[in-house]
Amino acid sequence: MLETIFTLLFKQRPIVFQRGDVVFEASWTVLVLLALVGAAVVWIAHRRVSAVSARGRAVLIGVRLAVLALLLFALARPTLVVPTVVPQQNAVGVLVDDSRSMRVADVADGSRGAWVLDALSPEGANLLGRLSREFKVRPYRFANGVERLDPGATLTFDGSATALGGALDRVRRDLSTGPLAGIVVLSDGADNGEGGLDDPVLQLSAAGVPVYAVGVGRDRFTRDIEVARVELPRAALRGATVVADVLLSQRGHGGRSVRLTVEDGGRLLASDIVRLSGDGEATVARIAVPLSESGPRSLRFYVPPDPGEEILENNARTVMIEVRDDRAKILYFEGEPRFEVKFLRRAVAEDPNLQVVVLLRTADGKFLRLDVDDAEELAAGFPRTREELFAYRGVILGSVEASFFTHDQLRMLAEFVRQRGGGLLLLGGRRAMAEGGYTGTPLADALPVELEMAEDAEYFHELRVQPTPAGRTHPALQLSGTLDQNAARWDELPVLSTVNRLGRVKPGASTLLRGSGEGGDEAPVLVQQRYGAGRAAVFSVQDTWVWQMHADMAVDDLTHETLWRQLLRWLVSDVPDRVAVAVEGDAGDVGSRVRLAATVYDSAYLGLNDATVTARVLTPGGGEREVALEWDVSRDGEYRAGLAVEEAGPHEVRVEARAGERLLGSVVTHFVAGDGTAEFFGAEMRRAALERLAQETGGRFYTTETVGSLPEDIRYTERGNTVLERHELWDMPIVLLLLLGLLGTEWSLRRARGLA
Amino acid sequence: MGVKALVLLAAILLVAAPPVIAQRRFRGEAAVTPNNTRYDGRFTFLRLRYAPLERGWGRFGGGQEGWAHDYPRAERNLMRLVSELTMIRPYMDGGNIFPMDDKEIFKYPIAYLSEPGFWSLSEAEAAGLRTYLEKGGFLIVDDFDGYDWVNFEEKMHAVLPDGVLMPLDVSHPVFHSFFEIESLETLAFGNYRSVSQGAEYHGIFENNDPRSRLMVVVNYNNDIGDYWEWSDQGFFPIELSNEAYKLGINYIVYAMTH
Repeated sequence: MLETIFTLLFKQRPIVFQRGDVVFEASWTVLVLLALVGAAVVWIAHRRVSAVSARGRAVLIGVRLAVLALLLFALARPTLVVPTVVPQQNAVGVLVDDSRSMRVADVADGSRGAWVLDALSPEGANLLGRLSREFKVRPYRFANGVERLDPGATLTFDGSATALGGALDRVRRDLSTGPLAGIVVLSDGADNGEGGLDDPVLQLSAAGVPVYAVGVGRDRFTRDIEVARVELPRAALRGATVVADVLLSQRGHGGRSVRLTVEDGGRLLASDIVRLSGDGEATVARIAVPLSESGPRSLRFYVPPDPGEEILENNARTVMIEVRDDRAKILYFEGEPRFEVKFLRRAVAEDPNLQVVVLLRTADGKFLRLDVDDAEELAAGFPRTREELFAYRGVILGSVEASFFTHDQLRMLAEFVRQRGGGLLLLGGRRAMAEGGYTGTPLADALPVELEMAEDAEYFHELRVQPTPAGRTHPALQLSGTLDQNAARWDELPVLSTVNRLGRVKPGASTLLRGSGEGGDEAPVLVQQRYGAGRAAVFSVQDTWVWQMHADMAVDDLTHETLWRQLLRWLVSDVPDRVAVAVEGDAGDVGSRVRLAATVYDSAYLGLNDATVTARVLTPGGGEREVALEWDVSRDGEYRAGLAVEEAGPHEVRVEARAGERLLGSVVTHFVAGDGTAEFFGAEMRRAALERLAQETGGRFYTTETVGSLPEDIRYTERGNTVLERHELWDMPIVLLLLLGLLGTEWSLRRARGLA
Repeated sequence: MGVKALVLLAAILLVAAPPVIAQRRFRGEAAVTPNNTRYDGRFTFLRLRYAPLERGWGRFGGGQEGWAHDYPRAERNLMRLVSELTMIRPYMDGGNIFPMDDKEIFKYPIAYLSEPGFWSLSEAEAAGLRTYLEKGGFLIVDDFDGYDWVNFEEKMHAVLPDGVLMPLDVSHPVFHSFFEIESLETLAFGNYRSVSQGAEYHGIFENNDPRSRLMVVVNYNNDIGDYWEWSDQGFFPIELSNEAYKLGINYIVYAMTH
C-alpha cells in the first residue's frame, strides 16, 4: 500500500530510488541566476505590502520562496540514474525448497508446494516467466542437499530436512563464473541443516550477491500445538523416574489445558494435564516418567490433536533414552551405628540396580562391612587409593568426623566428585558437616553449602520437610503419580529432625528440600550442586527412617523406599564409566549427520589421549559400519566423529576403546533416525530468518502477495552486466501537487488579509 | 576393644555402685513410674509395658510388675556400656516406657519386653506391636523360663499369627554384629544353672525366611536384663555379665544395621 502511494507520487518504486542516484542535468550558472532574480522579485513585490504585520509578510515571502524553489527544482531537470541489467546477459539462481514442510497447506487455498509449482510453471505471467525475459534463470531445488532442477523435472516436496545454508553456498559457487544478478529463494525459511546460515550469508555479502527471499507460507498459524522440544537425560538406571522438560508451543490455544502423555511402544508411562500459557507463548511442561523397562527406549511425547489444528505431525516427538539394567555400586560409610543404616539398606535391598555397600564404624578402629562383593573389599577400612574409591559410582558419608580421614582421603573424596564425576551425599548427624569439623577441609569446597557451626552443641531441631519449586519436579523427589499428587504427598509426611545447621547455600547450588520448624524458621535440607564432573549433595536430616517407622505411615507405604531408590539413582545417574559415549544433537531424518562423542579414562579417571576408539554402527537394515573416533585435542580423553544417517530407524552404536591390544572398555548407545516428521516442527514460515538473509546480502524479502514486483526489482542491480537507466523526475506528480498546494495556501492567506 | 575392656568396665561399675542398691533386690521395689524423655534422635532404650497377668500367685517380684523388671538400672548400665564400647550415642538415663498401643513406640525401633510369662495383650496392643515389627522394629524378649513359654508363645502368635519361632544358633549374624560370640552355652536363667535349663535363643524372621531380617530375638531360659542390672553388685561372675552385655550390644548393633 505504502509502496503504491510512493510509486504514484514519485513515478518510480522505492527500490529504484534505493539503487539509483539523483542527478541535476541543467546548468548550475543559469539556475543560480534564476534563483537570484526570482528572490529579488519576491523581495521587491512584498517590500511594500503594509496591510499585514511583519510576521504575516514573512509567511507570505516564505510561501512564495518555496514556490520558487520548487520551480527551480523542476527546471534543474532532476534525473534518477539507476543501473539495470542488460537483458539475457545475467544469470539469476532460483533456489526452490523441496522439503516436506512445503506440503503444509497455508497459502491461499493450497499448499506451499502448489504455489511454488504455479510460480515456476513456464507460462509468461508467473514469476519464472517474467524472470526469464530479463535473465538467464538457473533453477535449483534443495532439501537435504541441492541439485539443478532440470527442465521437465518435478518437485516432490519429500525432502526430510532443509539445508538452506549449504544450498546458497552451492549456487553461489556454481554461478560465480558468469555475471550473476542475484539469487531468488522460494522457501518457508526452515533451515535444519548443519552449519546454519551465518557463514553462507557472510560469503554472499562479501561477493555482493543479493538474495531475494520469497517467504512461502504463513508466518503465524491460526491453530496449532507443537511438541517443540523434549529435554530428557540420555541414560537412566532401571526403576528410576526421570523428569522430562517438554516445550509446547502453540497458536490459538492460549490458556487452555491439554493432556500430555508419554508412551513407550504404545505402553502408557505418564500422563498429565498441562495448562498452556497465553496465545502464542511457549509453555515448559515438566512430567515425571517412570522407567521400568531396560534397554534403549523410544519415548513418545504426545498431545492429542485438537479439531482445526493446521499441522498434526508436530503433535508428537520421539526421544531415545538408554535405560541401564546394571547395578550401580555405592559406598555408604557411616561413622556410628544408627537406624539410618538399617532403613537405608532395607529401602534398596530388593533393588536390582543399586548395590549399597556399607562400611560401618561400630567402635573406634572397628568396622562392620555389609553387602561387600568379597572378603577383600574394604578390608582395610575406608579406601586409601583413588583406584579403590573411584570403583564406586557414589559415596554416602554418614555421621563421621572429618578427623577420621587423612588429608589425602578428604582430597580424594573431593576429586571423586570433581574428576571422577561421582555422586557424593552427606547425611546429617552429630559428627557430620560443621559439627564434624569439615569446615576448611578439601571436601568443604565440593559441598553445596557453607558449613556453619550451630552455637548450641546439643542443637536439635524438628523440621517439616517440603520440596522447593525446584524440588517439586526433581526426579529424585517424585513420591507418587503426577506432580500434583506428589506435592500433596509431601504435605502429609511426618517431621524429621536435624542436629546440623546448614550455612549459606553456595552460588550455583540448588536447594531441593527445605524444612520449616514450629517457630516458622526455615532451613535448607537437601541442597545439591555440580562440582567438576560430578555432583555433591547434603541432606541435613538425621532420621529419614522416621518416614518408614512413624505411626502415621502405613505399613505398606513405600515413601521411604521410593525416596532412597530415586535419590541414589539420581546421585549416580550421570556418573561416567571409564568408557562412555553420547550421540550429540537430535538425530534428524535420513541425510542428516549425528556427532558421536566418547570419553576414555584410566582407572584413576584421568583422560587417556592415546587410545584407539572405534564405533561399530548397526543400522536398522542390518548393515554395519565402522567409524573411527579421533581425539579432540582440546580436551583430555575426549574423542569425536561425525556420522551420516543413511537409514531411518533405530541405530545401535557400540564403542570400543583400546590401548594397544588391551580393551579398556566398551559401551553401547542407540539413536533413532527420521520418523519423517522433522520438517513439520517449527513449520511456520520463518520470516525473520528470510528477512535477515535478504537484508544482509542487499536483496529484498517478499511474501507470496508482494512477490509480483520481484522480477522488476531484481533488474536494478549493480551486479553482472548492467547499463545506466535514466528517469526524469521533474514531472513527478509530487512536484505538481506541492506547487498547487503552495499556491493555494498563498491565495488563501492573501484572501484572509484582503490583499490582491 | 573387646573382652578386656568390657571386663575392666564391668569391674569399675562393680566398685563404684553404692551398696544400698543391692539391698533393694531382696526388699522388693516400688511400682515403676516412667520417666520418659522426648525423642531427640539419639538411640533410646524402649521398654514395653503391659498390664500384669494374674497367674494364681499374683505379681512376681514383690511389687514390681514383670514388664518393669530390672528397670531402670538394667538399661542404664547397658547404655553406659554401649556408650563406652561403641560409637553409638545413646540416651544415658535409663530409657522410655510405653505400652504397645502407644504411637510413641514407632520413634524407637528397638524394644525390650521383659517377663513374657506374665504378658497380657489387648487387641490394640497386638496390632500396635505387629505394625511396629512389620515396619522394621526389632523386639528383644527376655527374662522368662519354663512354662512361661506357653504364655509367651500364645501372645506372640496373637501379635504375628504367621510368625514362626525358630531356634537360633551361634552362626547367626546377630551374634557377630559387634562382639564375636563363640558360644551360646554360657548363660542360664538367673544363673541358676543347677535348677534351670540352659539358655535358648529363638527368633522370628521376616517372611519366616532365616536369610531375611530377624525381627524378634527371644532369650528363653535366660534373663540378660538381670545380668545388666546387677553387673555392678557382684552377684554374678563378671564373665557371665560380660556375656549378657555382649548379647545386648550385638542385638542393638544388629537391629541398627539389619
